[in-house]
Amino acid sequence: MKSSALASGGLMISFSWLSSFKGPGLSGDSDLPDLPEQWHELTGYIKITPDNVVKIYNPNPEFGQNVMTTLPMIIAEELDADWQQVVVEMGPHDSVKLGPQFTGGSNSTRMYWKPLREAGAAARHMLLDAASQTWNVPIEELTTKAGMVMHGKSGKSGKYGDFAAKAATLVIPKGIKQKDPKEFTVVRHSKKNVEAAKIVSGKPLFGLDYKHEGMLIAMIEHPPSFGMKLKNFDATQTLQMPGIKNVFSLKLYEDGFELAGFDTRTFNDLLVVVGNTTWEVMNARKKLKVEWELVVETKETINNFGRKQEVVIPAGLPSSEEQHKQMQAKAKEPAALLRKDGDPETAFSNAAQILERTYNAPFLAHNCMEPMNFFAHVTDEKALLVGPLQAPGWTEPTLAKILHLPPEKIEIQMTRMGGGFGLRAYGHYLCEVALISKKIKAPVKLIYTREDDMTYGIYRPMYTATYRAALDANKNLTAIHVKGGGIPENAVHANRFPAGTVDNYLAEGWQLPSNITIGAFRAPRSNFAAAAEQSFLDELAEQMGKDPIEFRLELLKRGKENPVGKNNEYDADRYAGVLKLVREKSGWGKPENRKYSRGVAAYFCHNSYAAHVVDILMKDGKPYVERVFSAIDCGIVVNPDAAANMVEGAVIDGIGNSFYGKLSHKNGAAEQQNFHNYRMIRHSEAPASIEVHFVQNDIDPTGLGEPPFPPVFGAVANALYRSTGKRHYNQPFMDALLQQNNEPDNSTERAVDKKTDKANKKKAF
Amino acid sequence: MITLNINTKNYEVDVDPNTPLLWVLRDHINLVGTKYGCGVAQCGACVVHLNGDAVRSCVTKVSRAAGQQVVTIEGLSASNDHPLQKAWMELDVPQCGYCQAGQIMSAAVLLRENPNPTDEDIDNAMEGNICRCGTYLRIQKAIHLAAEMQRKGQ
Amino acid sequence: MHAKFLIVITALITVTGFITSGFTINEASINDESKKTHPDNTVKSDSAASAKAFLQVYKVLMSPRCMNCHPAGDIPLQGDDSHLHTMSPKRGKDGHGLYAMKCTNCHQPTNTPGMHTPPGNPKWALPPSDMKMVFQGKTARQLALQIRDYNQNGHKNKQQLLEHARDTLVKAGWNMGEGRPAPPLSYSAFLKAWDTWIDKGLYAPVK
Repeated sequence: MKSSALASGGLMISFSWLSSFKGPGLSGDSDLPDLPEQWHELTGYIKITPDNVVKIYNPNPEFGQNVMTTLPMIIAEELDADWQQVVVEMGPHDSVKLGPQFTGGSNSTRMYWKPLREAGAAARHMLLDAASQTWNVPIEELTTKAGMVMHGKSGKSGKYGDFAAKAATLVIPKGIKQKDPKEFTVVRHSKKNVEAAKIVSGKPLFGLDYKHEGMLIAMIEHPPSFGMKLKNFDATQTLQMPGIKNVFSLKLYEDGFELAGFDTRTFNDLLVVVGNTTWEVMNARKKLKVEWELVVETKETINNFGRKQEVVIPAGLPSSEEQHKQMQAKAKEPAALLRKDGDPETAFSNAAQILERTYNAPFLAHNCMEPMNFFAHVTDEKALLVGPLQAPGWTEPTLAKILHLPPEKIEIQMTRMGGGFGLRAYGHYLCEVALISKKIKAPVKLIYTREDDMTYGIYRPMYTATYRAALDANKNLTAIHVKGGGIPENAVHANRFPAGTVDNYLAEGWQLPSNITIGAFRAPRSNFAAAAEQSFLDELAEQMGKDPIEFRLELLKRGKENPVGKNNEYDADRYAGVLKLVREKSGWGKPENRKYSRGVAAYFCHNSYAAHVVDILMKDGKPYVERVFSAIDCGIVVNPDAAANMVEGAVIDGIGNSFYGKLSHKNGAAEQQNFHNYRMIRHSEAPASIEVHFVQNDIDPTGLGEPPFPPVFGAVANALYRSTGKRHYNQPFMDALLQQNNEPDNSTERAVDKKTDKANKKKAF
Repeated sequence: MITLNINTKNYEVDVDPNTPLLWVLRDHINLVGTKYGCGVAQCGACVVHLNGDAVRSCVTKVSRAAGQQVVTIEGLSASNDHPLQKAWMELDVPQCGYCQAGQIMSAAVLLRENPNPTDEDIDNAMEGNICRCGTYLRIQKAIHLAAEMQRKGQ
Repeated sequence: MHAKFLIVITALITVTGFITSGFTINEASINDESKKTHPDNTVKSDSAASAKAFLQVYKVLMSPRCMNCHPAGDIPLQGDDSHLHTMSPKRGKDGHGLYAMKCTNCHQPTNTPGMHTPPGNPKWALPPSDMKMVFQGKTARQLALQIRDYNQNGHKNKQQLLEHARDTLVKAGWNMGEGRPAPPLSYSAFLKAWDTWIDKGLYAPVK
């Protein structure tokens, strides 16, 4: 670690992350592989001014998970700062000083927990050391509290700011003792969002808000469908439109360019319109005369952090209907073996009863509220890029290559993001705007309209999975078989529950390629796997005459006491823990809850455990999610209220996507282009209550952004079964429900509880 | 030239009268609190007050606003102390925050017209504002809290 | 002598004619209101032509461009499949919507350009809650009886009914923006049918 004094006398601490990092420790389920070792040489800083204001830099990009508040809390805890005196700023992109700086994989808090505690503890120690020298007293006699140093014996006290200058001259110590969680006064105590005041008063915070002197606006006219590319264009009319500066085409990546893992782009030949203002460019685009042509099959090399893959991009204009048929056919063919325990073939051939069910889910669009956008000002010497993105470090090497600039000359500033959900990990739009700026030799912001954004791809893949269970004559479970497929990848997590709990287990996977681009979507793969698996377990429990929670707990008991096979990727105790907690808190089985149609699901992903009970009520023949109970084990909860907000959001996100989410295609074109036909869950459709309970333990934080999301789909499906009497195997569930009810009716009368004068919230879905 | 009165201040803008008010606010007057989410009046991120009504500025031509009174999120209160803003902060409503200006502007019309809204009133008023992050429950509670603050004169 | 017979026979035939058209004498004589729509009881009525004309009118009124704003419930309909309007805006007491979901919050005085944007008209609204003027779910007979009923048609007399088809909001049905097909009759054909229906006696079809 290094430290230096600021001219004004404050303390600046840089700390090396090398000793703190074991690598980000990403679980094998996510799209994010382990980073190479040499990326771990990193530093960050705390600034303390003489008047005792502590500035803490948030290293990780913010997209609503509130790391802006949570990560500084961790530093402030060990530093023993007065939270009221803490000022938080978004850190610059500096992988040396501030760590990996990627927001994804539910990793922010988990990744930074130890390093930030170390930094805070070290800084506190340096302040104590400085005070000890200043007052000439032994350091052991000094204590701190809320930004003050005290010497009990003499009654002396001073603020951190008094000692900051001296502290800055000291060597940064290592291995300073950190607090026992019982001593926490900041962590585990809800703190308000440090940016709330700016958000509610409309301050410029987001990429779309960023302004730069002389900035132009650019938009890209994309092909109308996947499987097509730019052939030629006539911009005569466009160029005559007011405010338009330039229309041109450019290649994003040169032929044969080796893509990095997050360089996904849907279209490589870009037709760009540049003008003075957003509206002028939006209008001028309409006057373009463009000829598109079909793409031919191509091969692409992707270098996913050292793992090279050759990927085939097929030709053709895909249609969802056709893709369903292809998947059904492919599902019948042999698939890759992912895991086998015992002798599943024999178990199935000897079975007294076999339960087989197939589950399907469509592509999903991320639909961040802030559409894709980024700013760039590129010259021959350097590049400045500003905007919303999740992982500057993953795109910077690509920028360096295509701009022919060394990384030190590329500055990426991270604004607040209006949502990420995985989409903003893919930096194609940074590369696009950088090339545009370089070409027009001007600062420029690239904006995607909602239609551009929704039809651009990088979707959550289309998935299917067939589950089979074998029961013997006594209704004992003897085997489970999952065969999952998808376009262009499957969602099978072979080593997850219930693997390890059944003697005979078989997991297989297959995939079909497509020219529809996909990308990480909040809990990739898990967001489907949980739905299918948890629905299947529910139906299986029913077949076996067991309570769904009891059934899972029995399996988990087996998984803990006498596990089958190796590499079982879950902690059976923690998994059982959330089921037990949600059972308790939801009053599962209690008579007063009988009026609800209850569905339960639990899942482990991204290092944490989540279980939900979803309560549905029927109103005028339609199901409404009235209440949800959530039990989460994510280790130490740094900021409890912010964490509860995240879980509430994941629940609502899950209900909305399971009921409505769908991105379908016809002849290569996305059938949904805006919110008029991509239905989003609305205010009245959110549950009347979501009760969030965290398992109390002292495990280091394991992550919360994604884990609560996947089991919601399963719990909703299971609750729907109990309310409609029918199992729902295909998402979005609303499609099937509407078919069941024939016409969308016009019933608007909602039952009003005259006693309490509270109307029931729900309307027709 | 079009004269606009925004947050009690007058602006002269030289724009095509068909330009949506949203883009005049964001690109010409530099008030970026009002957001672009969809451009087709489906999401509510662009809500501003036009003579007190919650219009969607992405489809409202600037000519409709000429000479009228426009209030944006930046002008909702002098120092971030509208009951809704206070309630939003008190209950830590936002996640990403992008939709919240529109949410607050819609809620402000509700509270002005109905100081004692029921849950159903809130649903009716807010159904047009999408929150992708799912803060609807907190929005509901914050509106109730703001109504209470308003009733107490806070 | 012969003249008396002629008068009686003519009267009989006239009465019979009334009955077979499905329009009973009782309706004509009892309903004071209907007298307002028939200020001249001796107008040359042609029940068959009138009812037939209404069947044409019915086609238009039940097309999405008209019916969508004459829903059975309190949420307008939307699109050619007449699904519930996204965002569930409510009628409200005066038909102008509620709070931040008033019709004119999104629907401008003119159509917004582009696909899937709100169509516009200065009078954009639903009928008020005390006079809902529902089209959705009505048979031709029911709708005709409703529209000619002063107490159900927004208090319009015959002259006002005639003028109503010339109203800007009604005309807007034929000009509702990109991607919204016009009603099945041209506006002039609709007008003709409307006027015929009214001028020939406001007869309701049998069904």
